[in-house]
Amino acid sequence: MNERVVTLKSFFVDVRAGRLTGIRCTQCGGLALPPKEFCPTCQRRQWEPVSLHGSGIVTSFTVIRIPPRGRAPEAPYAVVVVKLDEGVSLLGRAVDIPLEALQTGLSVKFRPVVANDQTIIGFGPA
Amino acid sequence: MRRVAVIGVGITRFGKHDCTSTELFAAAAAEAIADADIAPRDVQALYYGNVTGGETERQLHMGPLAATTLGLPTIPTTRVEAACATSHAAFRHGVMEIASGVSDVVLVGGAERVLNVPTDAATEYFAYCSDASYEQSLGLTFPGVFALIARAHMERYGTTEEQMAHVAVKNHRHGVLNPKAQFQKEISLEAVLRSPYVADPLKLYDCCPFTDGGAAVVLAAEEVVKKRRRAIWVLATVAAADTMFLSEKRDLWRVAATERAALRAYRQAGKTPADVDVAELHDCFTIAEIVATEGLGFFEPGSGGIAAEKGWTSLGGKIPVNPSGGLKAKGHPIGATGAAQIGEIVTQLRGEAGARQVDGASTGLVHTLGGNTATVLVSLLGRE
Repeated sequence: MNERVVTLKSFFVDVRAGRLTGIRCTQCGGLALPPKEFCPTCQRRQWEPVSLHGSGIVTSFTVIRIPPRGRAPEAPYAVVVVKLDEGVSLLGRAVDIPLEALQTGLSVKFRPVVANDQTIIGFGPA
Repeated sequence: MRRVAVIGVGITRFGKHDCTSTELFAAAAAEAIADADIAPRDVQALYYGNVTGGETERQLHMGPLAATTLGLPTIPTTRVEAACATSHAAFRHGVMEIASGVSDVVLVGGAERVLNVPTDAATEYFAYCSDASYEQSLGLTFPGVFALIARAHMERYGTTEEQMAHVAVKNHRHGVLNPKAQFQKEISLEAVLRSPYVADPLKLYDCCPFTDGGAAVVLAAEEVVKKRRRAIWVLATVAAADTMFLSEKRDLWRVAATERAALRAYRQAGKTPADVDVAELHDCFTIAEIVATEGLGFFEPGSGGIAAEKGWTSLGGKIPVNPSGGLKAKGHPIGATGAAQIGEIVTQLRGEAGARQVDGASTGLVHTLGGNTATVLVSLLGRE
């Protein structure tokens, strides 16, 4: 059995350490994030891990004002869609960006957000 | 493949109920079986939709419980879960079971009960329909998912918050005409625009409510149907899918699965968007209706907001959309929604929709979207 190059667990272990790791298809060169078994473009299963720089621009954003259970102390908070320089996108929590300063086209940089045992993806000022 | 028809529909009043989800379904199913003019024992199988019962009612194994509550404990059941498209997916499986010759009469539908838990708990359970690691973990809610889509549509096409508000005003106006709707009350454009933000740019009145309710549909093979004048034919039923991850959607301002499902459904039925007389489509948020009217081919990409503003989707407009009041005013019990939408279109095509009847409607479309746009079902129904 082929071992996955990047698993969900290893992805977030890397995130916690401040690294963003995607996978690149060694056949067609396609980048994928999050990791998966088959290349959506060429259907091969020959990936290699690739480090992503973490820089990108905001392509959409929202400010969550009515949060799910347990997150009331955090609200309001912003979730952003970021297109990374390498061409793949990622969702993250906006960090250290005033809510009123959010706009599409804003340059941002990846940073991990670690709270208790949970690690999530964050984006702060570039 | 055999032709399949809808011969009975049943829908509970949508809103808050003090009974279990399977009781809600059983009430709707009893109405559908009576409407079909068959004996309960004629039903050979049940495809049952429910999403959050494990959380809100601590109840799994919902299929046999639903059949048992109905008084048909020995029919085989399958529970379907496809987020908000759940009972439309159940409908498609029922159609396939009959078309393939396995059964002649099949009951499909679903129910949901969420108003027995606090709003923040229901918000959490609905968020389970997006990915746990990459999306839920950020605190992204369902209004948040559609807010991201709305922002992208606004940036791409110049769609405005006021255009989105027109969808809410129209669907509430329609809801007044539906005695089963959760909200039978008109709202003003100003009230929508003044309502507080839930997830910018979506405001409270851009969002459908949490709802308890049940809906059921009786399907039958052509051989059974022959002499039934009120039978409505399934011209096409198609499921399409897209990546679970919002970050992987090619264009956030489109719903690719809607476009794929629609294309295949029109082809299967030999119809075009211009043939559709009435549509029930998935307006979980006002922006969702705008994007769906584009993806289904009723309007050019980017002009869904203008269509809402001009009243083209209103009863009496070019293409009446959501005469039932839609998810926005009729309510959105997620496990029942698809079957309820089908029930409305069947009622319209029979000419039995009363004050909200689209005159002479002979072809209807049903569009149901699941969760973060990863699942879409489109069905076309017709009198002939």
